[in-house]
Amino acid sequence: MNPLVLLEQVAVRSGPVSILTSVSIHLEPGTSLGIAGANGVGKTTALRVCATLQRISAGRGAVLGADLGTAASLAKRARIGLSGHEPAAIGELTLAENLELVAKLSDRPSAWVVEALAKVGLDRAADRRVDRCSHGMRRRLDLARLLLTEPDLLLLDEAQAGLDPPAVAVIGKLVADVKSRGGGAVLVSHDEAALRAVCDRVVTMRVGEIP
Amino acid sequence: MTASFWRQSVAIASRDLMVEGRTREVMLIALPFGAVALFLAPFAFGLELALLATVGPPLYWVVGLLFGMQITYRSTATESGPWSDLLALLGVDPAARFTGRALASALLITGFLGVLAAVMVGLYSPGAMPPIPGMILTVVLFSAGLAMLGSIASDITIGLRTRTLLAPLLVAPLAAPLLIAANSLWRSLAQETGILTWALILFCIDLVLAVSGVLSARPLMEATR
Amino acid sequence: MLAAATMAGGLWLALSSPPDAVQGDFVRILYIHVPSAWLAFLAFGITAAGSLAWRMTRRQRFDDLAAASAEVGVLFTVITLLTGSIWGRPVWGVWWSWGDARLSTTALMLFVYLGYLALRRAVEDPERRARLASVLGLVAVVQIPLVYFSVNLWRTLHQTQTIRPDGPQMDPEMVAALLVNVAAFTLLYVALVAARLRIGRAEAAASEVNAGPAGAAVGVPQLGGGPDVA
Repeated sequence: MNPLVLLEQVAVRSGPVSILTSVSIHLEPGTSLGIAGANGVGKTTALRVCATLQRISAGRGAVLGADLGTAASLAKRARIGLSGHEPAAIGELTLAENLELVAKLSDRPSAWVVEALAKVGLDRAADRRVDRCSHGMRRRLDLARLLLTEPDLLLLDEAQAGLDPPAVAVIGKLVADVKSRGGGAVLVSHDEAALRAVCDRVVTMRVGEIP
Repeated sequence: MTASFWRQSVAIASRDLMVEGRTREVMLIALPFGAVALFLAPFAFGLELALLATVGPPLYWVVGLLFGMQITYRSTATESGPWSDLLALLGVDPAARFTGRALASALLITGFLGVLAAVMVGLYSPGAMPPIPGMILTVVLFSAGLAMLGSIASDITIGLRTRTLLAPLLVAPLAAPLLIAANSLWRSLAQETGILTWALILFCIDLVLAVSGVLSARPLMEATR
Repeated sequence: MLAAATMAGGLWLALSSPPDAVQGDFVRILYIHVPSAWLAFLAFGITAAGSLAWRMTRRQRFDDLAAASAEVGVLFTVITLLTGSIWGRPVWGVWWSWGDARLSTTALMLFVYLGYLALRRAVEDPERRARLASVLGLVAVVQIPLVYFSVNLWRTLHQTQTIRPDGPQMDPEMVAALLVNVAAFTLLYVALVAARLRIGRAEAAASEVNAGPAGAAVGVPQLGGGPDVA
């Protein structure tokens, strides 16, 4: 079976600035990988490469069996779920409206919205506007979105940041669910202990590289 | 799974219209500001009624152009980095995103211009006026073109620090044919001459912009990666 | 050298050609105005071609060509508008003829490409800059046929196209002077674009100094010594 993510000595440059020098990642189906590292080493950029949202300057890579930079890799995007540093939501819409929009765009039943909000403990705040929610609530909304869309490749960037222990447990459930479906997860964080609690394997990223 | 092109377009358009429904920025801010602009201009021209009757409609289109541009930028202001990434990962067709945004902006600009037309007629008392169906046609075609052009410019400048000044600089000169055609069609309808020519020109401009927007949607989205 | 020699020849012909029956010696400004206008259109066409070539091949040289051509095109457009104004004042009686659609749309073309150059300056990453600029370059080129055919769309003060399919309206000596100046300006365009490309390559080479990965600048906080931060 093809690995879900296979990056070999991937480099990312922005003009003369080098962000990643040599990143190699191997993620098999049914497993989870944690990438630990200090601020500024390039964890988020590496994660965005896995999400096909960051172009690479050198090296080779394939996500969900499609080579990076090809039309085939763009077609795989709908099977990828990403929770980044900042939650993705429209501030003027309510929590429920944001999820309903995601449901429409991803062709999921609207009925799943209520269930997803309940799983992250936001069902009673469903009609609250996102710009009136706390950061932690918005992060929970991101998790609800991932529960709704059921991606095959789950990518979480500092997912535990801003979450209380009950919400952190949702992350564990998300990772377990995606693995049971034959998918996989990559989590990045500066908190190595938190990663070890959730991931099957943890690697440490040095400046610009994962050997 | 991804939704069909039109389902995605309608969802995006609905999103923008819902946001406007919550914030009412067009109704409560852009519209009064546009009315103020029309109100102030005579103080600069002088209060010669015959002159005002002549400049009223062209000034209306200029105000419509400048404020309409701002209305289109509003919708892309909601498309921050994380939301833009989310749309890409949901498999939303960039052309559907362009179509949805342009549709919502066109509806908002049409409403804006519709009310502004009444303000212009009241303040400037222009002479011969087009029949109402003709006015609606002109406003709709102009709004559609401006919405599409503004959407393209927004996509080009998304994430740039100088966006608030750069986007209008890109739109304004390219919008000149829209301005010329809309004003000329308005005048033709009022004078009942040359209507078909200007209507066709305005329609062709919209068609070129629609094709440009759809074809450039994916390259522009991928340019930010 | 060739451009300089041809420019000198063109200048000599411009000064020695007969005056126009109606415009007199003012017609000599057209030997700069008309070639500048044609080169402005050519330059922006090359920008569009370079943009298209970049999109098809992703080779940086085509984006560099598009940018260099746009810069030179802006220069020629400014010369076109200035010489047009200088010529228009004694002939039409005004510095700027609002009724002249071709003049107005040429000015709009200038603004479009100033926006193009402003966009390029606003984007630091070369790859992203090329992607955005190439799209704008292709969209903006729609302006060129609009300018050229505007004389046919609007009846204005401006004279109709000087070289028409059924034969030029000008004296043969004047046509010869005009064509030599077109050739001279074309060579000048090539020389300016080549020079701009050389400068661009030197700038790119200078910025290629490898300072190491960006993250290497982040170090461990040094809390020892100084005011107590606890």
